[in-house]
Amino acid sequence: MAYAYLFKYIIIGDTGVGKSCLLLQFTDKRFQPVHDLTIGVEFGARMITIDGKQIKLQIWDTAGQESFRSITRSYYRGAAGALLVYDITRRDTFNHLTTWLEDARQHSNSNMVIMLIGNKSDLESRREVKKEEGEAFAREHGLIFMETSAKTASNVEEAFINTAKEIYEKIQEGVFDINNEANGIKIGPQHPTTNSTLSNTQGGHQAGGGCC
Amino acid sequence: MDKMENGRRSVDTGSIRTLSSSHIDDESSLGSDSEINGFASERQADKYGFIGGAQKYSEDTAQDIPPAVLRQREVKWLDMLNHWDKWMIKRFNKVRLRCQKGIPPALRGRAWLYLSGGKVKREQNQGKFQELDSQPGDPKWLDVIEKDLHRQFPFHEMFVSRGGHGQKDLSRVLKAYTLYRPEEGYCQAQAPIAAVLLMHMPAEDAFWGLVQICEKYLPGYYSPGLEAIQLDGEILFALLRRVSPLAFRHLEKHKIDPILYMTEWFMCAFSRTLPWASVLRVWDMFLCDGVKIIFRVGLVLLKCMLGTREKLKACQGQYETMELLRAIEPRYMQEGFLVQEILEVPVTARDVEREHHTQLKRWKKNRGELNFKPPPRMHGARIIMLAEPPRRQDLQQNPTIVLEVPQTIPQLQKGKEEKKSKKKKSMKKSQPTEEIPNPYPLLSDPQSSSTEPPAPPPGNSVTPEAAAQTETDSAGEQKTPPTDLPSAKESTLQRSTQSLSSTEQDTYL
Repeated sequence: MAYAYLFKYIIIGDTGVGKSCLLLQFTDKRFQPVHDLTIGVEFGARMITIDGKQIKLQIWDTAGQESFRSITRSYYRGAAGALLVYDITRRDTFNHLTTWLEDARQHSNSNMVIMLIGNKSDLESRREVKKEEGEAFAREHGLIFMETSAKTASNVEEAFINTAKEIYEKIQEGVFDINNEANGIKIGPQHPTTNSTLSNTQGGHQAGGGCC
Repeated sequence: MDKMENGRRSVDTGSIRTLSSSHIDDESSLGSDSEINGFASERQADKYGFIGGAQKYSEDTAQDIPPAVLRQREVKWLDMLNHWDKWMIKRFNKVRLRCQKGIPPALRGRAWLYLSGGKVKREQNQGKFQELDSQPGDPKWLDVIEKDLHRQFPFHEMFVSRGGHGQKDLSRVLKAYTLYRPEEGYCQAQAPIAAVLLMHMPAEDAFWGLVQICEKYLPGYYSPGLEAIQLDGEILFALLRRVSPLAFRHLEKHKIDPILYMTEWFMCAFSRTLPWASVLRVWDMFLCDGVKIIFRVGLVLLKCMLGTREKLKACQGQYETMELLRAIEPRYMQEGFLVQEILEVPVTARDVEREHHTQLKRWKKNRGELNFKPPPRMHGARIIMLAEPPRRQDLQQNPTIVLEVPQTIPQLQKGKEEKKSKKKKSMKKSQPTEEIPNPYPLLSDPQSSSTEPPAPPPGNSVTPEAAAQTETDSAGEQKTPPTDLPSAKESTLQRSTQSLSSTEQDTYL
C-alpha cells in the first residue's frame, strides 16, 4: 500500500484496438484475447518504481465505441496520463486519433501526459499504418509514441512506465500541483506511525503487483 | 420442438461436455487476437452453459429449487401462458408474485417473450424479422458488430466459438435491429442484452425481445449520445439519498458521478455483474415490473457496499470506492438474499417517474434540451400489454404446449375450481400429493408458496377470485408435466414421483 505517488491514467481509443488487453498485460502480465467487451469502465492498478520511488498507477480503461464518448468524458477528470491507442492493422482507428485527442485535451487538465500507442505490432503482415506515420502524428501533437503488442508484451511495460516518468519529471519541474487531486496525482499515505515529511522515507519494501 | 426454450441443453446438464467439436474445429482458423485462451476442451459447462468466467455457477450464489416444486411451477406457468390476457388483466399481482419466485427455467424464454410483449410484436409483424435478416445491412454497423461477437459472454458455451451458432444468431439479431431502427444503429451494450435473450429463445424471438427492451423498458439507453442512461444515473443517485443517506453522502463527497459505476449495471441490466442465478431472477422481475427493478438492484448493491460507517472508513477516495463497487461481495448478490432485498426497497414506478421529471428539468436547465427524445418508458408487462392490446391469435402459444390428461381418472375436487377451465380441472391429480415445500419461500409471499396448506390467504388485498386461485394453486400441485418440455418424459413422469424428484429430469436447475 505504501507508495510515494499515485498517478491516475486513462486508456482511450477506438473499439477493438486492444485497450483492455494492454491493461491486462501490464497489470497481470498475461494476454487474454477472450474477454468481455468493455462497457463503461474497467480498472487496473500496479506499483512501479521510478527514481527509487514507489509509484502506484491507477488505470481506467474505457469503452471505445463512439456513442460512449459522452460518458467517457467523465472519466478524463483527474487523469495525469492518457494512453491513446490505435490499431496498426486498421487505418480508421488511426484516422480517428484527432477527435480522440480533441476530446482528451478538452476534458482533461492541460498538463496531462499523453502517450500515443500503435498496438498489435506483432501483426506486421497486416500492418496498415506505418510506424513513421505514428511518429509523425505524435511529433506534430506533442505526444510520446510507441508501438506495442499486448499479445507479446513488447513495449507494454515501457509504454506505461515512460508515461509515468514523464509525469514524474513534470512533478519535479513543478509543473503539476501535486496538492490538487484534480491533476490525477496523489501523494502517498503516511505510515501510521510516522508523520511529517513526504514519502521519500518510505522504502520499497512493498512488492509491486496489481494490488491496491 | 426445436423452438422450445432452453431446449438446446435440456436433460442432465452434468453430462454436457462443452465446446467439444465446434470449438476445436474453429480453433485452427482463429486469428491472433481471437484465439480461445486456454480453454480445456473437456471443461464442463455449468447448468447455465458457462464454462468459466465470473458467471460460472457456484452453489453459494444460487438456490436449488427441488424438481417437484419446479414441476408445479411449470404447470402454473403453462396455465398462465394459455390464458395470458386474462391473467395479465385480472390477476397481475399473481403473475408478479410468480415472477418474483422465479420463472421455471424450462419456460423462462417463453415467459420472457410474453411478459415483454415481444410475442405480440412478433405476431403482429410476421415476416418482418426474416425481411430484415435477409438484407445486407450497413457496413458501418456490421463492422462493429462483427468485432464484438466474440466478446459477449465468451465463457458461455453458446458464444465461445467463432462462427458458432450463438455468435451467428447474435450477429443476425443485432444487424436486424440496426435495420429496424437505423437512426439508432448499434450500441455495444445491446449485445449482452441480445445474448441473454438468445440463451433462452431463437433469434426471431430474441430480436423482438430486444426491440421491446430497447423501446419500452429502457428507451433511449442505446441511442446516440447515451443521454437516457446519464439521466437514469441522476435518478438513481437521487433515489439513493432516500434509501441510504450514508452511501449517498459518501458518493457525493468523493464526487463519484453515477455514470462511473452504473453504466454497465443498467445498460446490461446487470447481466454482467451478478452471478447467473441472480441475473435470471432479476430479469424475471424486470420484465414483469420494468425498470424500477433495475433501480432497486442498483440501490441494494450501493446500500450493501457503502451503507455503513465501517465500510466507508475502509474506502476513502474515489478510486477505492469505485474498486469496491466493481467487486461486490458475493453474499450481497446471492440469489435469495438479493431478491429479498430487491422486494424490500421502497421504490415504486411512480417514484422513478417523479424523479425522472425532476432530473429532466434539471438536465434541461443545465444542459439544454435532450438531443434524442426517447419514447416514454413503460413500467412493466401489464402496461405494455394495455398499451398495445393483443389480438387473440397473437397470444396463441406456438409451438403449443398441451397438458395431457392423465390416464387415470382423477377425483375432481368440487367447489372452488368451477371457474377453472376443463384443462385445469383435469389437472387435479390422482396422486394425492402432499405439498412440496419450497425451501426458498419469499418472505412477502402471502401464501408462502407451498409450506402451508391451501388456506385462504389473509384477504384484504386479495380478491375472491385470486383467493380461489390461490387455493387451487396449492391444491393442484404436482400435476402432469408439460408434454413437450424437452426434459420431461411425460409418460413416466405422470406416474412416477421418483422421476419427478430426480434431478436428472431437471432442465436447468
